[in-house]
Amino acid sequence: MHPVTPPTAGSPAGPSFRTLAAPRRRILRGVVAAVVAAPLMFGAAACGDDGAAPGDGKVTLSIFWWGGEGRAKLTEDALALYTKKNPNVTFEKTFQANQGYFDKLATLTAGGNPPDIFQIDDNYLAEYAGRSTVLDLTSYKDSGKLDVSKFPKSLLEYGIVDGKLAGVAAGENTQGLVYNKTLLTKHGLPEPTTGMSWEEHIAWAEQVTKKTKVPGTQDPSADYKALWVWLRQQGKDLYKGKDLGFDEADVTRWFELWKGARDRGATPTPDVIHEGNSSDITKQLVVTGKSATSWVWVNQMPDLKKNTSDDLGVVAYPGDPSAQWARASMYWSVFKGSKNRDAAVDVINFLANDPEAVALLGTDRGLPSNMDLRAKVSETVTDPAMKQSIAVETELAATFGPSPQVPIKGHSKVKSELVKAAENAQYGRATPAEAAKQFLAACKSAIA
Amino acid sequence: MALTTAPGRTGPTRSARPHASRRGAGRDRHGEGLAGYVFLSPWLIGLMGVTAIPMLLSLYLSFTNYDILTPLSEVQWVGLANYERMFTADPSYWHAVRVTLTFALVAVPLKLAAALGVALLLNRAWRGVGLFRGLFYLPSLLGGSVALAIVWVNMFNRDGAFNSFLAIFGIEGLPWVNDPEWALETLMLLAIWQFGAPMVIFLAGLKQVPSELYEAASVDGAGRVSQFWHVTLPMLSPVIFFNLVLETINGFQGFTAAFVLSNGTGGPVDSTLMYTLKLYISGFTDLEMGYASAMAWVFLIVIALITTVFFSTGRFWVHYSDGER
Amino acid sequence: MVAVTSTARRQGVRRPGGRQALRLVVLVVIVAVVLYPLLWMVGTSVKSQQEIVSNIGLLPQRFTPGNYTEGWSNFDLSFGRFFLNSAMVSLLTVVGNAVSCLLAAYAFARLRFRLRGIWFAVMIGTLLLPGHVLIVPQYILFRSLGLVGGDWPYLPLLIPQFLATEAFFVFLMVQFMRGIPRELDEAAKIDGASPYGTFRHVILPLSRPALVTTAIFSFIWTWNDFFRQLVFLSNLEDYTVPVALTLFIDSTGQSAVGPMFAMSVLSLLPVFLFFLAFQRMLVEGINTSGLKG
Repeated sequence: MHPVTPPTAGSPAGPSFRTLAAPRRRILRGVVAAVVAAPLMFGAAACGDDGAAPGDGKVTLSIFWWGGEGRAKLTEDALALYTKKNPNVTFEKTFQANQGYFDKLATLTAGGNPPDIFQIDDNYLAEYAGRSTVLDLTSYKDSGKLDVSKFPKSLLEYGIVDGKLAGVAAGENTQGLVYNKTLLTKHGLPEPTTGMSWEEHIAWAEQVTKKTKVPGTQDPSADYKALWVWLRQQGKDLYKGKDLGFDEADVTRWFELWKGARDRGATPTPDVIHEGNSSDITKQLVVTGKSATSWVWVNQMPDLKKNTSDDLGVVAYPGDPSAQWARASMYWSVFKGSKNRDAAVDVINFLANDPEAVALLGTDRGLPSNMDLRAKVSETVTDPAMKQSIAVETELAATFGPSPQVPIKGHSKVKSELVKAAENAQYGRATPAEAAKQFLAACKSAIA
Repeated sequence: MALTTAPGRTGPTRSARPHASRRGAGRDRHGEGLAGYVFLSPWLIGLMGVTAIPMLLSLYLSFTNYDILTPLSEVQWVGLANYERMFTADPSYWHAVRVTLTFALVAVPLKLAAALGVALLLNRAWRGVGLFRGLFYLPSLLGGSVALAIVWVNMFNRDGAFNSFLAIFGIEGLPWVNDPEWALETLMLLAIWQFGAPMVIFLAGLKQVPSELYEAASVDGAGRVSQFWHVTLPMLSPVIFFNLVLETINGFQGFTAAFVLSNGTGGPVDSTLMYTLKLYISGFTDLEMGYASAMAWVFLIVIALITTVFFSTGRFWVHYSDGER
Repeated sequence: MVAVTSTARRQGVRRPGGRQALRLVVLVVIVAVVLYPLLWMVGTSVKSQQEIVSNIGLLPQRFTPGNYTEGWSNFDLSFGRFFLNSAMVSLLTVVGNAVSCLLAAYAFARLRFRLRGIWFAVMIGTLLLPGHVLIVPQYILFRSLGLVGGDWPYLPLLIPQFLATEAFFVFLMVQFMRGIPRELDEAAKIDGASPYGTFRHVILPLSRPALVTTAIFSFIWTWNDFFRQLVFLSNLEDYTVPVALTLFIDSTGQSAVGPMFAMSVLSLLPVFLFFLAFQRMLVEGINTSGLKG
């Protein structure tokens, strides 16, 4: 695999190709010009005012997020509260399922009308920030219009791409290992604890398999977030600048670690591992009863709980927990070309810092970013599963290390290539070393 | 593309129709030339206004580094780089080509056979036939819904219904849908299962066969089998041709089933990475729409060639009642 | 001139009883196999959320019809709103495709005019480009024409359907029309009918199987179409069934699988009924014998 030729470098086919293609190009250029010019004449023509401040005149902000109906209700309530306090601002709200969300966001962006405010995650933040779709919020932060003083430092930093504040964390989460408490108790087995080493975890899982006949742990070798934590514990990282933060030897060791676990019977069979590799909550092996643990984000606990009658527990991923960090479960970002940038930033500020709004939003998008308000919200939480995840996250927060950099452009491909390589090793179609080699080669072309 | 085998192309049977216009386009009997364009006008407007511009735009984008997020005015021309990468530097591209060919070669004939077989069973009118047609069409009604994904996976994973069925005969099943060796076969089965569309087209085609032809055939002493070969098949051939062409195109494009079944990944280990799924992932997930557009145009050219072959062989076996070839 | 008789009655009389029964048995067996996954889906729609994940059997241990009421009123709007939206879009698509594709097909199948072969090839060509690379350019185009997000957001979904852009249906109708004996047109021509008269009096009445097929597919495919509706619709009250169904599943968080299954089952009903209603027109069939001689 090799990268798309850098656009600025001359066409690889040389000048002869260029002259040959010229007439057709001109026609196509004409088509493009017509299509590009048209929006300027119609919709986008009003782009004149420069993010003028709200206050006088009606402002309508479009806002777009993914999530279920529960999230929609909470968000709509919080936005209604904003309109109540700022009657000149109203919202055009769009929410969609996870499936198709980023397809639509990209298409809207292509059409020149992305929403003023949109929800985004760390998979795509760098992609959007790198293409100047996203407003740099640094000046708002400096002027105090966007108050992030109560945010954990690492959480704020996890929204910075290339020195620009591209997104404001709408909530915080971190990696969590969820296990089936009921199963373990029934067989008199110990529960996993935070700080167990990876080898201890695998040995524990082997015991679980032997005693319960349920595979002790899902094999997370295809899971980028597990690999990431493990790499950080080895003094490496997923990315470093514009490059990978690890090498082939690291990945080989990672794959070998899990090959060992599979050989010892600590994990399910490859087909079941594949089933659990889906990000879908309802397919997580800990709720389908096909394994005693699942590798998830801690704030997914309550939703996992809804899918099983067994009791669940949650701890950090194995190894030194300080390798975990305050991850923004999702961000709010503002479209750079928005007509009402100032108003949009004000809304984001409101959603993060207004006590009533934060109380309304609760822990739906993760723990509130504002630490003062997080404490208050945590007290009011009644769902036991949510209480557990808050407890774990609070415990871990004490040791959180600095954030890694936000995943770079090409991350989505790195993620899918990891799944492919790890599964090749799991199905026995490649040795750990071969799979690691394949993964590295694919990564290099993905991020180039 | 040499798809000019349009209906009504000059053929040997021409002389049978004394009224047909002669070569010169200037002599226009009954104002047919004008009428042609009148009838064609909605389609022409649609072509010019709705279809052609996006198509040409995608052709242009296939020579650029378009990533969806960058405004069109800022995309950069990269010449043939996307095409080069596809053919020389992307092993998963060729993998997707292989997967797609396998899928199309197996699933398309089987689906057509299933559709034709059931259509023949359901052609004759009897009480309740409508309900049966509806029931056979039901799987196709599901399209590519979220529910379908869950249903199919639960039929064909290790502890799924299919394995329970096999267990009755003492056969130990496989994790079909989660097994890289078998996932594609499961996908084919899903495509074949949704045979409703060609079935309906066959049914409609069968309805068009004039019943007096059967009557004439039985008067001549032809049995049922003979009637099938000498009346049904020739009369149905335009519709068979249509289904063959469209299902082939469909089979090569087969996106929905693969997307649904693999959660949009083409997994396990790319075993269900159909061409269009690879294209979708490149375009939308990896934001390499320029590359995806290049893949789409290569696809178009290849399928156009295949379609041309169909059209040119069609004249030997497709029987049109309008007497043309 | 056109004698439409029911082949149904005629052929029904001819069938001997034994064969009938055998065929019925064969059919029932095939149907049972084909429908098992759908039965499973219905079974799942009355399972509780936890049971859906843990019990993969056909029948629920505990019957939970609540999924239906919950799904129906899961949103601020009743789910019925999405049914109405989908029905409207689908029915208008049926009309658009039936009319515009029939006109184009008549031109291709029966009339001769300059460049016909080229246009036909172009028409087939438009079938061949994978749709996913067209969505973004189409969106850009419609937006530049000011059609996106208007007061009535369905325009970008419907305008193409009234302009015969679904080449599938044009080609389908061409194939069917070519099955109509040309002697009929020639006879009409001799009687002095113009191409318009021939269309009206010969082709249109004989195109019913093609029209019915087009109607069935247009309706069902539009009813199930996800991607285009996802891209062009942005307000909950405008959403259609496929878009709304995905709202039940937020794969990374809250998922209401039970209600989703319940609404998926319900969403099959309108298309199923539409199919049953329209396929009756296929049953009756057409007899062209009266046209000859």
